[in-house]
Amino acid sequence: MSHDRKKPTFSLLQHTDKLSIVLFFVVWELLPKLGGIVETFIVPPSTVAQVLYEMAKSGELYPHVSISLFRAASGFATAAILAVPLGFLLGGGFRTFERLVNAPLRFLGQVNPFSLFPLFMLIFGIGELSKGSMIFWVCLWPILFNTINGVKAIDPLLVKSARSMGTSVFTLFFKVILPAASPGIFHGLKMGCGTAFFMLIAAEMIGASSGLGWLVWNAQINFQMPQLFAATVLISALGLSLNLSFGALESRLVGWKQKSATDNT
Amino acid sequence: MSSIQGKQLEGIMYDNSKQFTAIAVKSTSGVNKASISLVDRLWALNDRLLDWYGIIFLIAIWEIGPRRGWIDSQFFPPPSLIITEGINMAEKGELLIQITSSLQRLFQGLAAALVVGIPFGFILGGWFPRLTHFLRPLLRLFAQLNAFALFPLFVLFFGIGELAKFAVIFWSCLWPILFTTIAGVQGVDPLYVKVARSMGSGRLTIFVRVLFPGALPSIFTGIRLGATVAFLMLIAAEMIGATAGLGWLVLNSQVNYVIPRLYLAAAIIAFLGMSMNYLIHFIETSVIKWKETVEV
Repeated sequence: MSHDRKKPTFSLLQHTDKLSIVLFFVVWELLPKLGGIVETFIVPPSTVAQVLYEMAKSGELYPHVSISLFRAASGFATAAILAVPLGFLLGGGFRTFERLVNAPLRFLGQVNPFSLFPLFMLIFGIGELSKGSMIFWVCLWPILFNTINGVKAIDPLLVKSARSMGTSVFTLFFKVILPAASPGIFHGLKMGCGTAFFMLIAAEMIGASSGLGWLVWNAQINFQMPQLFAATVLISALGLSLNLSFGALESRLVGWKQKSATDNT
Repeated sequence: MSSIQGKQLEGIMYDNSKQFTAIAVKSTSGVNKASISLVDRLWALNDRLLDWYGIIFLIAIWEIGPRRGWIDSQFFPPPSLIITEGINMAEKGELLIQITSSLQRLFQGLAAALVVGIPFGFILGGWFPRLTHFLRPLLRLFAQLNAFALFPLFVLFFGIGELAKFAVIFWSCLWPILFTTIAGVQGVDPLYVKVARSMGSGRLTIFVRVLFPGALPSIFTGIRLGATVAFLMLIAAEMIGATAGLGWLVLNSQVNYVIPRLYLAAAIIAFLGMSMNYLIHFIETSVIKWKETVEV
């Protein structure tokens, strides 16, 4: 690291790591030019961009994107509103209560959401409610468990020293407990957001008549390769930007926290 | 997600046994040994069972509720009915076919990801740090792609047969394994490598004795993550297009409106997922004996 900084190649080195992505796109663009069977299966990025532009211009794209984002946001927000206070309740105090409900909660968290999706459809119908509750369900567990862990991991010394200085319960909560638990909570929110987007696409592919997942599904059934690639690229871009913005938000809000080595996955 | 849960669960279990032994030690040192130890032992038993009360209560409500008509028994069949359905299916041999075909797909995908991911991780992380630096954004891009959105593409490339499902499972567990292997190799203390080299050990010895054991804990984290994602994707892939397997069983029971079978399939999937986590954890602890556990 240190010898890199002395050399003038350092700034160049920083840019080379973006080069691999550029290279990937160039290969992707050139590959269909080979012709043959590859041409029918791989749509070059230039065509994908064109298709996306046309779909956006005709207003076809907007309702799908907005309904998908609305579904993800509503499920995620409901889960966060419920799970964070519940996590505080379970993580701090009430030891016996926590141990009582811990095992059932863990078991429910372990249940594969895909196997529950038919049940949600039976109970809530095939409308918006079943998709919303599905996303709520998958967001709930990471947020809840990470909040519990975050609250539990608070150094008791911090709480004790604040209390010995005569802070009120209100101040204690907002000045000590909440900031100390926030890295855990934020990690949970980040995971929940990622899972929400993942499950959203799945839920829309299994049973919906609009949204980005439906767009992929529809394109596949009708064998519209450009649309299929366009929808896949759009979903990936949305997921990536969601991840990136959450990462940026996290480093701004809980910037004091040190990164661990396994975080980069 | 579930690796954290597993750790948490283990931590709680560990806590418990400590408390139990502490109470047991206290009880034997009491003056009136016979009576105090009995009461204390009951308390200790209560303390041990505390984790199970919640789940027992839940199952009891689930059993009694539909029978008494508190809950709609069509949507929530009591557990006894689900177990009967399970026994029926097991007797006919149907259940075993679904479970084995699911597990076979899972292990094929996971094994292929291990065979590809670990050597590549070692090569990239250990011998070509520049190349790793160069490729990392691209690999991360691939890893963050929604595997579910890619599924139609896989179907187009590989057909609707086993190969597409294999490819999805392989793809989704490859990235966590690859990334944690790279992180593990790069996380090995350079001092160890230098010491080994200064003592004249060859490349192979350094790899087998230093690099590999050093990276192993990190690799196991990747395997656990990968297996969890792979299991999720397996069920999804089987629900979208398969003629056997647990995901297919879920879909089939939904289409035919056999609700107890639906619950049975969901319970088996949850159980398999949990036992897979424990199996990997068991292998991890029996392979990595030297690592000290840090309590947070």
